[in-house]
Amino acid sequence: MNSARIFSLLMVIIFFMAIPVKAKDMTLKEPPQSLSKYYPPKSKEPKWIQQMHKMSTHFGGIFVNLKEKDFKNVDKHADKLVEEYQKTSEMVPEWEDYFDIKAAEAFAVAAKTHDMAKAGKASGELGKTCGKCHAEQEVAVWTKFHWPSFHKIKVTDPISEKEMAFDDYMSKISSSFKGVTVNFGEGQYNRSAKALKKFKSQFMELKSTCSKCHTTNDVKRFYVGIDADTAFTGLANELNSEKPNPRKFWKNIGLLGKTGCKHCHLTHRTYSFIQKSWEQVNE
Amino acid sequence: MPRLFTKRVLNLLTAIGYFAVAGIAIAYFFINEKFEWIPETALELVREKELLERPDAKTCSECHEGIYKAWKESRHSVSWISKTYVEASENHSKAKCLACHIPESVTGEKPNPRLDRRDEGIYCVSCHFLNGKMNGPYDLVAPPHPTYRNPDYVRSSFCGSCHQKTYKEWKGTGVEDTCQNCHMPRKKDRLTDKLPLSLLHKKKWVGNHKFLHGDLTEKDIFLEAEFKDKLFNLNLLNKTVPHNVPSADNGDPRLYLYVTFLNEAGEQVDQTKEILAPQQDTALPFNKKVSFSYRLFGLVAQANIVLKYQPAWSKEKDLVWEKTIRP
Repeated sequence: MNSARIFSLLMVIIFFMAIPVKAKDMTLKEPPQSLSKYYPPKSKEPKWIQQMHKMSTHFGGIFVNLKEKDFKNVDKHADKLVEEYQKTSEMVPEWEDYFDIKAAEAFAVAAKTHDMAKAGKASGELGKTCGKCHAEQEVAVWTKFHWPSFHKIKVTDPISEKEMAFDDYMSKISSSFKGVTVNFGEGQYNRSAKALKKFKSQFMELKSTCSKCHTTNDVKRFYVGIDADTAFTGLANELNSEKPNPRKFWKNIGLLGKTGCKHCHLTHRTYSFIQKSWEQVNE
Repeated sequence: MPRLFTKRVLNLLTAIGYFAVAGIAIAYFFINEKFEWIPETALELVREKELLERPDAKTCSECHEGIYKAWKESRHSVSWISKTYVEASENHSKAKCLACHIPESVTGEKPNPRLDRRDEGIYCVSCHFLNGKMNGPYDLVAPPHPTYRNPDYVRSSFCGSCHQKTYKEWKGTGVEDTCQNCHMPRKKDRLTDKLPLSLLHKKKWVGNHKFLHGDLTEKDIFLEAEFKDKLFNLNLLNKTVPHNVPSADNGDPRLYLYVTFLNEAGEQVDQTKEILAPQQDTALPFNKKVSFSYRLFGLVAQANIVLKYQPAWSKEKDLVWEKTIRP
């Protein structure tokens, strides 16, 4: 093998090698238990996020008022920011190290000079402390406290009329769905029609499930709405016809998958997976 | 001498009796007919100020025992503590439920949730106390606390503060009967049960505070069914209830319709089921036929149809009716 060929081969190998990505890795750790007292049901209100909003408002309030040259309110927001920052630093002992009270005080002093450039420069040091905590904890906090847990939801199976855990119900729906598609694929149209009736009933039950959290009809109809109705009608029409048309059948199956299953899975599943893994660890 | 004394005592007692009856009669006249003539200073003497500081239901029951007992049997009284609600709200943690399960003051708009006396659910004060005053369907001088008339108490919009979807459905029917007509049927009665206050008020039309939840029958949900070719067609019609049946904003009440097909030998050939529920957009609208069609597999000699009702707060189903249809 001459050197030119060896060089070419090496280039090919290098080209197909995994190229290290410089993206930041994210580790999701379950937030500390001490945070739970600032969220329902232990707290009547989501006090932690309200505290974040308070700090954010005072932080923003300084710059809004500097721009307006309303220095009285700049000073007021600066004092309040330090007060709320101090208060927040004491709320979750495990996160104490994220806070730098001196940086907050230095920012307040800079803001009170009423010099936009000085305030901007000092805000960077304080902003870093916020950013570090947000980068490491924000997704975990939202997953744990802002997304209702699917694993606590109970669903009544319309076929057996028994109440069951949400995950078990989804397995049941999945089996019923396969009853429709597998039987159709094998030309067993009567069996497929019977399975469709069962699957439709279980699928429509999800509207009741959505309404356990979503109060507006629009939300549940986003998942189980007109498109799902159209798909079910189309599937039933095919299965009740003398000679079902496979093209139309699979088109409606696709419509159901895209507008029903996919909508919900894309919105909810990621958070549900994370919650489940934390719940399993805690069991 | 003793006889004379006894006679005098009897005379005195008789006089006191006459005065008492006359007093009650005069008070009755002024309280019921000319209460505007009673000076405010006189009323102030008999006012119980603590009754205007959001009293608990038990305090109200001291005078309004009949109404209290009816309310105690209602779903309103357990709106915060019922097992179904505690489970569905994940131990009271869902903020969206609070406004209507523990309303501070019902006014025709969606209420705000309150912080006190949550175990009492939707209680006397939630509906009758607003801006420091007791309110109701009548203007009453009511010595312990005055009550101010608000015509909203006999209007559906009042119930619509929380039962928003049901109110919208009712409005769409154009039927004049209000929520109160059916769910709070009235009878002539006294508002207070405690003597002597109960004697001082005329009997009035008093609504049933049990908030009746209608028992459905075949007169309400009408069935039409027929076998045709290879199909069994069935229609249901909500004939009498001027909103969807069942109806709920966030609860999940259901009608279950079971259809079982039998052959000549009485053996089951097939069975199917429909769930008619507000959360699934399948509840029966007022006066509008809802049709179902079933493909028949095999020879069918009869169809047995059963309709059952399951309220939002129960896992039990009550039979509404049962029918048999033959080709």
